[in-house]
Amino acid sequence: MSIMKLRKQLDYKEIGALELTKKYLDRIDKVDKQINSYITVSKEEAILSAIRAQEMIDSGKSMPLTGIPISIKDNICTMDVRTTCASKMLENFTPIYDATVISKLKQQGAIILGKTNMDEFAMGNTSQTSYFGCVKNPYNTKYVAGGSSGGAAASVSADLCMAALGTDTGGSLRQPASFCGVTGIKPTYGAVSRYGLIALASSFDQIGVIGKSAIDTGYVLNAISGYDKNDATISRQQFGDVNSFVGEDISNLKIGVVKEFFSDEIDEDVKDSVMGAVKFYESIGCEIVEVSMPSFEYALSAYYIISSAEASSNLSRYDGIRYGYQSKNGDSFNDNIITTRNEGFGDDVKRRILLGNYALSKEYYDTYYKNATRICTQIKREYDKIFSECDIIITPTAPTAAYKIENGQKDIVKTYNGDICTVTVNIAGLPAISTTCGYTKDNMPIGMSIVGKAFDEKVIINAAYIFEKEFKRQEVVI
Amino acid sequence: MKYIPVIGLEIHAELLTSSKVFCGCANEFGGRENSRVCSVCMAMPGTIPVLNKNAVTLAVRAGISVDCTINNYSAFDRKNYFYPDSPKAYQITQFEYPICTNGHIDVAGKKIRINRIHIEEDAGKLIHDEDVSMVDYNRCGVPLIEIVTEPDFGTIEEVQSFVEEIALRLKYAGVCDVRMEQGSMRVDVNVSIMPEGDSELGTRAEIKNLNSIRSIRRAIEYEIKRQSELLDIGERVIQETRRFDDSNNTTSSLRSKEVSNDYRYFPEPDVPPILISEDEIEKIRESMPEMPQERLIKYTKEYGLPEDDAKLIIANKALSDFYDETVEIHNNYKSVCNIILVELLRNMNEASTSVEEFIFSPNDLAKLVKMSDDGIVSKNAAKDILKIMFVEGKKPMDIAKEKKLIMNSNEEEIESIIDNIISKNPKSVQSYKDGKDRVFGFFMGEIMKAAGKGVNPKLAKDLLKEKLK
Repeated sequence: MSIMKLRKQLDYKEIGALELTKKYLDRIDKVDKQINSYITVSKEEAILSAIRAQEMIDSGKSMPLTGIPISIKDNICTMDVRTTCASKMLENFTPIYDATVISKLKQQGAIILGKTNMDEFAMGNTSQTSYFGCVKNPYNTKYVAGGSSGGAAASVSADLCMAALGTDTGGSLRQPASFCGVTGIKPTYGAVSRYGLIALASSFDQIGVIGKSAIDTGYVLNAISGYDKNDATISRQQFGDVNSFVGEDISNLKIGVVKEFFSDEIDEDVKDSVMGAVKFYESIGCEIVEVSMPSFEYALSAYYIISSAEASSNLSRYDGIRYGYQSKNGDSFNDNIITTRNEGFGDDVKRRILLGNYALSKEYYDTYYKNATRICTQIKREYDKIFSECDIIITPTAPTAAYKIENGQKDIVKTYNGDICTVTVNIAGLPAISTTCGYTKDNMPIGMSIVGKAFDEKVIINAAYIFEKEFKRQEVVI
Repeated sequence: MKYIPVIGLEIHAELLTSSKVFCGCANEFGGRENSRVCSVCMAMPGTIPVLNKNAVTLAVRAGISVDCTINNYSAFDRKNYFYPDSPKAYQITQFEYPICTNGHIDVAGKKIRINRIHIEEDAGKLIHDEDVSMVDYNRCGVPLIEIVTEPDFGTIEEVQSFVEEIALRLKYAGVCDVRMEQGSMRVDVNVSIMPEGDSELGTRAEIKNLNSIRSIRRAIEYEIKRQSELLDIGERVIQETRRFDDSNNTTSSLRSKEVSNDYRYFPEPDVPPILISEDEIEKIRESMPEMPQERLIKYTKEYGLPEDDAKLIIANKALSDFYDETVEIHNNYKSVCNIILVELLRNMNEASTSVEEFIFSPNDLAKLVKMSDDGIVSKNAAKDILKIMFVEGKKPMDIAKEKKLIMNSNEEEIESIIDNIISKNPKSVQSYKDGKDRVFGFFMGEIMKAAGKGVNPKLAKDLLKEKLK
C-alpha cells in the first residue's frame, strides 16, 4: 500500500479514517510485542484526530496526509503525549508544546499513532540502548533494527504505520531504514525545522522520513519542510514539491562512486548489492564516474568528537530541577545533579558526555575539537569537488546488514564504526536517501544511499524511485 | 612600600529591548516570580534560541557610543557550567568573535581603552529561604552587553569618571536605562597592585557585581589596602573572584581561579553568526542621537554655559532634551539654563517627579523665560508662575494674568511718575548730569517706591534714561 493509493481510498470513502486508524492501532496491539517499535501508543489522540480527519475529508478539504497514520520518533516533542528520548531521564516527561513538524502534520490532518523506540537520546545505531528495551528487526526478530531510529524503521517495515518521522545525526535514520528494508530520507540540513527535536548534536541533527517507498517519504517531507521562525538554522530556500521530478528520465544523470566507501571495512555482500544497483543505473544510460574523498578515513573521528561535544552541552540541561527524573539522593545542588544524572542516563550517554567534555576541555580543545572542525571543513570541500564532477553519488548505507542482537553493542568502537558510510553526509549537511538494493544470504535487507547536492531532494527521490520501480522487495511476514 | 594600583573593568549592561534575547518573553524588571518565562528560556527539551535582532542593534549603538570598531562578523559560543540559575547549563555569549572591539573613552584627559563589547544572556536569580533555595527565571535570557576595558585605570577617581561617563552614553544611546540599584548595570572590577617603579603587573583579584558608584569606590579602596598589606608582610595575592559586602565595606573570597572552572567554550551551533554590513552599521550610526560629549561642547562653546552647569543639565538626558527644545524657541541660553538648574530642579526634587512627567512643554517654559527677560513679569513672579505651571500645567501668560503678576507697562503712567520724581529732586538730577552714575539707582528706587512693585523695570529704566539725557 502506498500513501497515494490510501489517499484515494480515503477520498473515495472506500475506507474511513477512523476505521483505518483503528486497524493500525489493533495491529500495533497485536504485533508490536514482538518488535517493540513503540514506546507510547497515543490511542485516544489518534482516534480523535481520525475523527477530525474524516471531517476534513467529508468537507472536501483533505490534504495529502489527511487520515494517514504516522509514527513519531520519541525524541520529537508532542504536546500532551510523553516524549522520553528512550531515557529514564525523561521517562515521565510530557512536552507543553508541539514540535514544528508535529504542528505541520496535525495541520494536514495526519494521524499520529504514537512515539517510537530508539537509542537513548539518539545515541547509537542498534536501538539497544533504549531504557524501554531493544527494538527487533521485523525481517527477523533475532536481529537488531538498527538505530537510533530503530523503532521508526521497524514500525514502517512491520506495517505498524504508513510512514514515520525519524531523526538523523550521523546516519540514525538511513541505517535503520536500510536494516529494516524500507526507504529513509535525511533532508538537507536546514530543510526541516528542528524546533521541538530534542537535540543530540545541533550541527548535524535533521528530522527526516522513513516510508515504504521514496515517493511516500516525499509526501511526508513536503508536509514537514519549510521555513520556521522558531529555528534560526533553517534555510529560507524553497524546494517546492520534492516529488515533482518523480518519473522523469534520468539517463543523463552522472553518478559518482566514491572509492573510499567501498573499502575492506564494508561487507562483500553489501558491496556486491550496491554495485549491482550502480550497474542498473548504468544500464539505463547513466554515466558512472569514479570519484574520491581523501579525508574519508578521518570523518568518523571528527563526527564523534563534534557530536559528542555538542551532546555533552545539549544534555547538560537534564539536572532534574525543572522537569525529568530527579534523584532523591544528594544533599547539595551539585550532589543532587550528580546522582540525578548518574541514575538517569544510560552508559552510552554517559560515555559520550565524558568524551565530549574531554574534547572541549581547555587542554584538549585544539587537539580534538578544533582539529575535528578542520576535518569537517575539508570534507565539505571534497564534497564540493565531487559534486562538480557528478550529480549524485551512490554509497552503501552501512558497512553491514542487520546483525544478531547479541552481537550489537559488544565492542563500542566497532559499533561506532557502523556509522562510517553515513556521517560524511551529516558533516556536509547534504540530503541522502537510503533504499533497499539487495538481501544477505540470511535474507536481511541491504541498503544503498543516494546522496545529492544541497536541496536536491527532488533528484535523489526520483533516482531512488526509478530503482524501486524495478527492484523486487521481499515483504515482511509478521 | 608604595604601590601603584592597576584597575580594569567589566561592565554588564541590560539592553533596552522589549523582549528577551532568544525568545519572545517580555524584558522587564520586577513582577511575580517566574511570570515571564517560556519553554525556550526555561530550556525545555527541543527548544531553540532565536536571536533578537534589536539586541544586535543596541550592542552596535553601544559600540558606536564608545568609538569601537563594529565587526562585520561576530559569533556566539556556549559557556558551559552547572548552576541552578542557568536552565540550559550553559550561557550563550560571544567568546571568540565579539561584536565590537577597540573602543575608548577619554576621562579627565586620559584615554581608557575598551577591549571589547559582546552580547550575552543574563541568568535567573536564586532566592534563598530558610532551608530551601528557589529560582526566579524572569531575568533568565534578558539581553546583556559586557563591556571589557583594558587595565588602564590608576585611580579610583578615574574609575568613577569612566563609569559615570559610560553610563551616560549608554543612556543617551538608548542602550540601557542604567538603573544600577535594579541591577540593569553591574560592574566587576579587576584590581592588582605593583610596587612603585615596577612594570610587571601584579596578580589580580576580581570583585564581582558592584551595583553603585559607592560600592565600586569602597571595594577598590578595600582591595588596594588588602593587597598592600599582604605584599607588605611578604605574602602573595592569589588570583580569585571576590564578593563585596556593603555592610562593612570589605571583600571576601568567592572562589579561587587557581582551581579555575573550565567553561568548555565552543561555537554555539543553534545561533548562526551575526553578519552585519557597513551599510547597516552606517544606518545605525546615522540614527544615533547627539551624545553627551557632543552636547558638552555645544553647551560650553556655542551657548557659553559654564562647564559645571552644562554637565549638570547633560547628566539628565530628558532634562537636556527639554533644555534643547526650550532654547530652540527662546535662545537666551543662560537664563533658560538658570531657571532650569535653580527653579525647575528644585520643583522636581520637592515633588520628586521626572522630566517625563512634566505637564507643561518646552514651549511654555520658553515663553515664561521670555516674559521674564522682557520684564513682562518680574524674576520672582516667574518663579511663582513656574511653580503653578509645574502643578497645574496652565500657560504662563494665563497664570500671570490670573495672579495679576504682569508689570505695569503703561508708558504714560510711568512717564508721569518719572517726571514727578525728577521735578522733586533737581539736585540729584544735577549730580547725575555731572557724571555720578550711581544716582540712577536712587531714581529707580524712587520710581519703584512710587509705582509699587508692579512696574516693568526694563521699561522704567529705558524711560528714565531718556528723561535724564
